[in-house]
Amino acid sequence: MMSSAQFEIQLIASLVAVACAIPGTFLVLRKMAMISDAISHSILPGIVIGFFITHDLNSPLLILLAALTGIITVILVEYIQKTGLVKEDTAIGLVFPALFSIGVIMIAKNANDVHLDVDAVLLGELAFAPFDRLLIGGTDVGPKSLWIVGTILLITITLLFTFFKELKVSTFDKGLAASLGFSPAIIHYGLMSVSSVTTVGAFDAVGAILVVALMIAPAAAAYLLTTDLKKMLGLSIGFGIFSAILGYWVAHWLDASISGSITSVLGLVFLLVYLFAPTKGIIAVMYREKQQRREVSLITFLLHLKNHDEISERHVKHLNEHINWQKVRSKSVLDLAQKNNMITIDNNIVSLTEKGDEFTSKAIDYIITNEDAQIEDMKDDFFLFRG
Amino acid sequence: MKKQTKDNETPASAGVVAVKVDDLTVAYNYKPVLWDIDLEIPEGVLMAIVGPNGAGKSTLIKSILGILKPIAGSVAIYDKPYEKQRQLVAYVPQKGSVDWDFPTTALDVVMMGTYGSLGWIKRPGQKEKKAALEALEKVGMLPFKNRQISQLSGGQQQRIFLARALVQNASIYFMDEPFQGVDASTEIAIINILKALRKAGKTVIVVHHDLQTVPEYFDWVTFLNVKKIATGPVKDIFSDDNLTKTYGINYKVSIQE
Repeated sequence: MMSSAQFEIQLIASLVAVACAIPGTFLVLRKMAMISDAISHSILPGIVIGFFITHDLNSPLLILLAALTGIITVILVEYIQKTGLVKEDTAIGLVFPALFSIGVIMIAKNANDVHLDVDAVLLGELAFAPFDRLLIGGTDVGPKSLWIVGTILLITITLLFTFFKELKVSTFDKGLAASLGFSPAIIHYGLMSVSSVTTVGAFDAVGAILVVALMIAPAAAAYLLTTDLKKMLGLSIGFGIFSAILGYWVAHWLDASISGSITSVLGLVFLLVYLFAPTKGIIAVMYREKQQRREVSLITFLLHLKNHDEISERHVKHLNEHINWQKVRSKSVLDLAQKNNMITIDNNIVSLTEKGDEFTSKAIDYIITNEDAQIEDMKDDFFLFRG
Repeated sequence: MKKQTKDNETPASAGVVAVKVDDLTVAYNYKPVLWDIDLEIPEGVLMAIVGPNGAGKSTLIKSILGILKPIAGSVAIYDKPYEKQRQLVAYVPQKGSVDWDFPTTALDVVMMGTYGSLGWIKRPGQKEKKAALEALEKVGMLPFKNRQISQLSGGQQQRIFLARALVQNASIYFMDEPFQGVDASTEIAIINILKALRKAGKTVIVVHHDLQTVPEYFDWVTFLNVKKIATGPVKDIFSDDNLTKTYGINYKVSIQE
């Protein structure tokens, strides 16, 4: 049986995953994945200063202060980039280590009074989350981080539903969004604010490194599986929750860090999708390229047959020499042509069938009118077997 | 040739100024790319903006649409600032300015054209969908409505952009190189739609590269190279002299009479 602490940890991890997956999807689509890395590190000084003031890692004021540091990071990066002296990735690489190191020094200088260490910040302490309870009028209403993450998630979901259209258009086409009166700047900073607040809220539970993984990995995997923005959001959320729960149990069995295990599962999920996604996965892409190569060879071969009536040009053995192919390739192309009833072979002399002739004539038409793309559609009508 | 002259006639509504640009100067990092542009575009013309690379053609359009902030000057759409006249204007950015791998369909991209009239927060419904389908029909892309946009050819992508502008049902259309990277049949389809728009009294402003087709496609032209060189009816000002001034070399385009 699951203890209530175990259940609470998984619930917190899942809520964090969802809260991260939503802004993460848009960051991935906006090619801004690196900025989440920058935010997650540079909020450290904000957290430390907030902690000095509030002495409570779960105080809303601390979250706001830290999120503000996140926004400052974005502004600084953009400012440095705008000068045109360095590129964006360089600007990111300059800003966040600077801010992060300020945070590290502040912790070190005050190590005696501050219950905050760098390890906890980087890796989080999800296992301890259930012990810090929120008491309202003396009643225990659950772990504090559950309430914090839940509130952030609620805000994120509300914003997503309210501004979905605006987010979509400004992500796809900034110029159009601007001309329609949806200020891309407002939406940009809105998204950055949500990302910052989410990062801070999730930070305490899962640490700086996992926050980045939770934002980017589920969205990157979802991107490879769908061509629909809403489905991409749904899949990101699903991958996030799956990794959070499976990661928790992996940590439980291995007696290892929860955040480390969740991150590993995320990496594994992405790897599997990257390899096996039906159309965009690496295996599907390689298979398609191979098929494409064979089909182009087939069309080349059919064109050759159509252009040459002489027996000598159509002898199976001479094909290797004439079109300059290896034997293996000639054989596989001949097989493909035969399987599709495009050719007949009589006494080692190859002839086009009626179907092969029709296919080739159409292909030639498309090639000379520069409509090669149409050949793809035509293949569906003619081929019984693909390359 | 006679038909062509008829095509190029300016509709009777000419006389009203659709777009007025006054003393517009635009700079990137304090390096001016447009200097002191004055421009009046009459209502109902089909106008080409021509000039060499780096002449500021796209910049001019983007500044008129408020996407770029000028360092000096002002723009009026039917005598009012652009911000008050958004509903009257549709914009087709360069095809290369967006990520065509974005997870969305042709229909959805066209629907984005309706977002302007919806304003913030309100979501598109059946009415917007119907308008988008009609626009897709007009550009001959209805059979592709559910295609993911990365699976469209360059010409088809451009038609989708055009449909998105049509759905805005605007009075003034700004297009940034709509003929770039499209096949011949798409080019003809696009220019026919633009001519139909002009016939319906709309004003169409096109950043254009192919000087050869200017007299055939357009009735109005603006020569631009950081400064405005000339603007007016094609038949009056599309001359070797203006081309040479704009492109800086001895330019000769044979204009068929």
